[in-house]
Amino acid sequence: MSEVEADSPFDGEKAPASPRADLITAAVLFVVGVAIVQQAIAMPRFVEQSGTGLTAPGIVPGFYGVMLALLSVVLGVRAIGRGGWAVRGPVAKATGDGRRLGLAALLGILYAGVLVGRVPFWIASALFVFAFTTAFEWDQGPERRARRMIEAALIGIGTGVAVMLVFEKLFLLRLP
Amino acid sequence: MDALNNLMGGFAHVLGGGAVWHALWATLIGIVIGALPGLTATMGVALLTTLTFGMGPNVAMLVLVCVYVGAIYGGSRSAILLNIPGTPASAASTLDGFPLARQGLAGRAMGISTSGSWLGTLFGTLILALFAPTFGEFALQFGSYEMFWVAMFGIVIAGSLSGGDPLKGYIAGFIGLLVATIGQETNHAYARFAYGNGDLAGGLGLLPVLVGVFGVAEVLSAMRGPAVKAVSSKIDSVIPRLSDVAKYWKTILRSGALGTFIGAMPGLGEDIAAWTSYAAAKRASKEKEKFGKGSIEGLMSAETGESACVPGAIIPVLTLAVPGSAPAAVLMAAMMIHGLNPGPMLAITAPEFIYQIVAMLVIADMVKMFYGLVLVRPLLWILLIPRERLMPIVFVLCTVGAFAITSRLFDIWVMLGAGLVGFILRELRFPMAPLVLGIVLGDLLDKNLLRGLVLSGGDVTPFFTRPISMGLCALTLIAALWSIPSVAGLLRRRKPAEG
Repeated sequence: MSEVEADSPFDGEKAPASPRADLITAAVLFVVGVAIVQQAIAMPRFVEQSGTGLTAPGIVPGFYGVMLALLSVVLGVRAIGRGGWAVRGPVAKATGDGRRLGLAALLGILYAGVLVGRVPFWIASALFVFAFTTAFEWDQGPERRARRMIEAALIGIGTGVAVMLVFEKLFLLRLP
Repeated sequence: MDALNNLMGGFAHVLGGGAVWHALWATLIGIVIGALPGLTATMGVALLTTLTFGMGPNVAMLVLVCVYVGAIYGGSRSAILLNIPGTPASAASTLDGFPLARQGLAGRAMGISTSGSWLGTLFGTLILALFAPTFGEFALQFGSYEMFWVAMFGIVIAGSLSGGDPLKGYIAGFIGLLVATIGQETNHAYARFAYGNGDLAGGLGLLPVLVGVFGVAEVLSAMRGPAVKAVSSKIDSVIPRLSDVAKYWKTILRSGALGTFIGAMPGLGEDIAAWTSYAAAKRASKEKEKFGKGSIEGLMSAETGESACVPGAIIPVLTLAVPGSAPAAVLMAAMMIHGLNPGPMLAITAPEFIYQIVAMLVIADMVKMFYGLVLVRPLLWILLIPRERLMPIVFVLCTVGAFAITSRLFDIWVMLGAGLVGFILRELRFPMAPLVLGIVLGDLLDKNLLRGLVLSGGDVTPFFTRPISMGLCALTLIAALWSIPSVAGLLRRRKPAEG
């Protein structure tokens, strides 16, 4: 087993993001910050009610928007200083598997965004757990695949039924 | 004498109504959640909050405190046996815990972890019992101006220390504060950033956001990363040795004090408490060369520090309504859901509640010790569950957790959105603690800034001239300046020259 290096919050949890990524992030955050300031200014001020306008709803988000825009400028300047503007700036090493990430996100959205609320919750959960487990165990090869799929189906049904019993019957909570 | 009576009253109050049963199952769930890599204490407290809706406030708090205490302890199981911290708090424990396990001393390492963690929580709880009531009375002097600075200090200190990059910490904090402004504000019921949407006008629920940031984002991170190969390890005796405790009593006291202090600082949390305690122990140790190679002292310090942080993180929740860590932020939200109003007024409205929390922490600590002795082999089996089978179940629980509080499908979408944004921010190396603190403190900051301005007729000077405000403002500025590398470097360079 390869040893995993312990993460220290003082050293930074992982390898830092690339300057190019920081520069793009800074640009996005700057736009968000400015948009928030603009919307905060456009909010009603309720001067007639308060007499002073000091309770205007836009004051606080406006302050945060200004701070976000300023901090994003600092982030952007720092990223440029570290080579983020260069055409061939340092590129962060890709970690993990983007395909696995996309699959997990897609299945999650299909389950929580589409199935839940339209199909009885325990069935939706059973289908999701089965699909998720089967999809991620598919790469383990054809050997014992049928057995793994049966296990995944049992885990799915078990999860759906257990969640329904524990949350709805035992703790009297409403399920979607 | 009053304090002792209150403490006895706290135990009597908490111990009724099947408390032991609730403490047993909740601590067990906490330990399992903490032990499983990918499931954090924050996620555990957030998910279990859902289960407590139908419970009375006292039982609910007992359950959540037990989950919190159990999860922080449980993280060390996988840190020792798999070299993978079950929670971020246990990262420091891998440095010496895993080498001990490789030397065939996994049982002894877990015994050290159990004794260190037990003593750490007990130490922190003692500090909470001694100082929280006094500090709570002091906090009664805090007005709007002071509470504004408390919230700002929380964001700045969390931004400075909770990640490797203070600038990204501050940005995360302000993103959290901005999220908290969505929905109707209190003065004129004006719906900010709602765009005519009724659900958005109601604001984003704290629990769905937290479940998304810590649950969904964690599932995505876990499924993206390389598969973790579990190892089996021979387990020797897990019974803690008194000789280990007696030999390293100074380390235990130092780590307990450091852990509690860091816990009491807004937004820092258990991981920083563990690393700070570990670093301090290494500096003071006569066996520095053993650190990182299986040092009993190193493991003891990390475990004591992280566990002492739990009661420490609850001190500012009870006295200022400002959480000391991310799990404590969820605990605070749960207190509010159950109608308990943490903060300065608690010293007047329900002073006995502080002692009830003390009683809950002690009970959780005792149950944790019990499981530390009997729950080693079953946990080893649980640790071998592949993530392909565990993570979809976690996702289902996240969905239930997000939905249950208000029964709105909108909250499930909030969870999904927060999960995706949280994942992207993590990938871009933005720390999550300031973000959570921003969301939690947003309302406090918003109300107190506007209230302060109204009280002073638009004059900002009271924010800087009232004695406590001035002190808090100075602390905030120092924390912000310290995070600028050139300033910190200048101060460090000047120090030896002065000496």
